[in-house]
Amino acid sequence: MGVFDKDRIEEIERKRREWEEGTLKRSLERLGLKQSPVRFYTPADLRDFDFLEKVGFPGEYPFTAAEYPSLVPELRIRGGVSSLLVRASSYSGYGTAEDTRDYYNYMRSAYGRRGGPNIAFDLPTQCGYDSDSPMARGEVGKVGVAIDTLQDFELLYEAFVGDNDLDKIASNFTINAPCNVILAMYFALAEKRGIPLDRLRGTPQNDILKEFAARGTYIFPPKPSMRMARDTITYCTQHAPNLNTISICGYHVREAGATPIQMVGFTLSNAIAYVQLGIDAGLDVDTFMRRFTFLAWSTGMDFFKEIARARAGRRVWAKIMRERFEAKNPRSWMLRGGGGMGVPTHTLTAQRPLNNVARCVVTGIGNAMSGAPPFGGIPYDEPMGLGHSLEAQQLSLDAGRIMQFEAKLADVIDPLAGSYYVESLTDEAEEQIWGIIHKIDAMGGAVAAIEKGYVQREIARSAYQYQKEVEAGERVIVGVNRFIGEQELEVLTTRLVEHPYDPRKRAEAEEKQLRSLAQVKRERDDGQVQATLRRLKEEAKDEGVNLIPPIMEAVKAYATVGEICDVLRGVFGEYEAYNVTA
Amino acid sequence: MAKERRIRVLIAKPGLDGHDRGARVLTLGLRDEGMEVIYTGLRQTPEKIVQAAIQEDVDVVGLSCLSGAHRYLFPEVVEQLKSKGVEDVMVLGGGIIPKEDVPFLKEKGVSSVFGPGTSIKEIANYIRENVKRK
Repeated sequence: MGVFDKDRIEEIERKRREWEEGTLKRSLERLGLKQSPVRFYTPADLRDFDFLEKVGFPGEYPFTAAEYPSLVPELRIRGGVSSLLVRASSYSGYGTAEDTRDYYNYMRSAYGRRGGPNIAFDLPTQCGYDSDSPMARGEVGKVGVAIDTLQDFELLYEAFVGDNDLDKIASNFTINAPCNVILAMYFALAEKRGIPLDRLRGTPQNDILKEFAARGTYIFPPKPSMRMARDTITYCTQHAPNLNTISICGYHVREAGATPIQMVGFTLSNAIAYVQLGIDAGLDVDTFMRRFTFLAWSTGMDFFKEIARARAGRRVWAKIMRERFEAKNPRSWMLRGGGGMGVPTHTLTAQRPLNNVARCVVTGIGNAMSGAPPFGGIPYDEPMGLGHSLEAQQLSLDAGRIMQFEAKLADVIDPLAGSYYVESLTDEAEEQIWGIIHKIDAMGGAVAAIEKGYVQREIARSAYQYQKEVEAGERVIVGVNRFIGEQELEVLTTRLVEHPYDPRKRAEAEEKQLRSLAQVKRERDDGQVQATLRRLKEEAKDEGVNLIPPIMEAVKAYATVGEICDVLRGVFGEYEAYNVTA
Repeated sequence: MAKERRIRVLIAKPGLDGHDRGARVLTLGLRDEGMEVIYTGLRQTPEKIVQAAIQEDVDVVGLSCLSGAHRYLFPEVVEQLKSKGVEDVMVLGGGIIPKEDVPFLKEKGVSSVFGPGTSIKEIANYIRENVKRK
C-alpha cells in the first residue's frame, strides 16, 4: 500500500499545474526563459510508493537503504585512522618478490601498517606468461610484482610471519585468469607452514568475465575460464571456507566506458553466471554465497543519478537472489561489498589535479547518501601515474574525516529515502537495469553475450559517446573542456613520493627476475615438474575434474605460472579478442 | 580531380596492458575525422605491430600503453620500423606517460606523446599537419 492518499495526489497535481501556469511562468518571463532550467519533484512523481516494498530497513530486503543495519565507518572504529591506510598495503607490489617483501616490511616499520597484503601482480603474471617469455619484455615487475614460481611467493611472504602469519592476516590477490595458480601457491605455502587451509582468509579477484568485457587480462576462452571459476568455488567451499572465492567487479566495466546503468546491468549479469556455476556444481546457494563479494562500483559525478543507481543495484540483486535463485539466507541477498555509489576514478583529471579533491568530496558525500560511510575517495594524484604522494593521501584521509566528524555525514543511513526525486530516479534506474539483464538473459546469459562481443561493443560505443560529449562541450569537465582560458590559474602541486620505489631496483627488476627464474629452473626436479604437468594436462581434458589439486602438485614442484598456463592453453585454447572496432 | 588518398592509421596496443578505452575511442574518432583506421587489439609484440604497419601501408602508428612499459616498447617499434627500411611512418604515443619520459621517447623517434584529456580533434590536426607522407 502506498504512503500517499490518492485524493491528495490529485490535489498536488492540480496545484502543480496552477504553480506552473502562475508562479513559475511569471518568474520565467521575468528571467526571459522559455523553460525552467531546474526541476521540482512532488509525491505525484512517486504515486503508489510503498516504503516497505521499495526501501525497507537497512540490512533487510530489498537492501535499498543499505546492506548493513548500521554503518560502522572505518574512521570511527580505528580511532580516526582509515584502515585503508594502516593496512600493510593499499593495492601494491612492484619489481621482484624480494622488492615487494622489503616494501611491506618498510611500510610496517615506517608507517605502522599492519594486516595482510593487497597484492598487485605484474602483467606477465596476470596474463599467464613467465618473466622470460618474449611476451613479457618491458613488463616484468611493472604495475605489480613478478611471480613466476612458488619460490617468489615464499620470498614475498617472508614479510608475513609470526603475528602476521597466514592464519592471522587476510590476503587480497588482484588476479583473474590464473587465479587458481596463485591460490594453489597460497595453499602450498600454508601447507609448508603447517597452517590448515580453513584458517586462511582473503579475496582473489577471480572475475574473468569482466576481463573479457573490460580489463583485458584474459587467457583462455570464456567457457573453460568459467570452469576455472567453478573450480575455485567448489574447492574453497569444501577446503578453504573462510576465503572469498570471487570479487565481482563493476568498477572496471565503468572505467572501460560503460554508462552507470550498463555497469550495473553487465555486472549483475556476470554475477548471475557465477552463481549459476555454484548451483550447477550441486552446491547449496546459501553456503557458497557467503563467500561471494563485490568490488562493486566506479561512480561518475552525476550526483543524484549515481545515488539512485547504487540503491537500485542493491534492490535488483536482492530480487535476483531471493526470487530467481531462491536463496533462503538474507545474507545471500546482499550485494556484499556493494555499499555506496563507489569511487570516481575515471572522472579524475590530469589537468589541474587538485580539482580531484573536490570531485572526491562530492562522491564521498554521495557515498554517505547511498548506503556507505563518507569516503575521501582516491588521492588526487591518481591520474598522474602510480604511487600516491603522502600529501595526496593526507588530503584524501582528511576529506573523509571532515565529512564524518565536521559534517556528521556518518550519523544517518540513506537520508534520501522517500525523496520524491531520488525514489523516482531509483525506480527508473531499476527498470533500466532489468532491461539490460533481461536482454542478456535472452542472449543466453553473460558468457554468450561476451562470446558474441555484445558487451564489449556496447562498452566501446558508450566510451566513444562519452568522448564525443566531452569534445562537443555537452559534458563539462572543469579544467579540461571548460574554464581553461588564460585567466584561469594553474594550481601547482608538489608531490613527495611516499615510498622510495628505488629507481635502480625498478630498472634492474627484469634482469634480476630472469636470473632467479633461471636458477629455480636449474635447481628443481625436472622429472617431477614434467610429471605434474602431464597429470594436469590429463585432468584438464575432463571437464568434470577440479583442477586445483593438480595445479597445487605442479606449483609444489616449482612449475612456473607460464608452464601451467601453457598446459591449459594446450587443452582449452586461447581467447581471441572480439574486435569491437572492426 | 583524383580523389585524395586518405590518411591511414594503425592504432596499436603493444605489450600486455589491457586498458584500451583510449585506443578504441581514438580508432572510432579518427575514422570520423576521415582517416582509415585499423586497431590491432590487445597484446601485440613490436614485431606484430611493425608487420601490420607494413602490410596495411599506414602513414601513422599510434601506440597506447598504460602499464609503464612504454620506455621499452615504443622505441622498439620505432627501431624495428627503421630496420625494415620504413622511415616515413609517423609514430605517436599515448597513455599514462610521465612527463619526464617524453623527451626520452621523442629522442628515440616518437613524434609526439598525447596524454589523458587530449581531444580527438587535437590528435587529428597534429596528424594532418605532420604526417610525413603526403
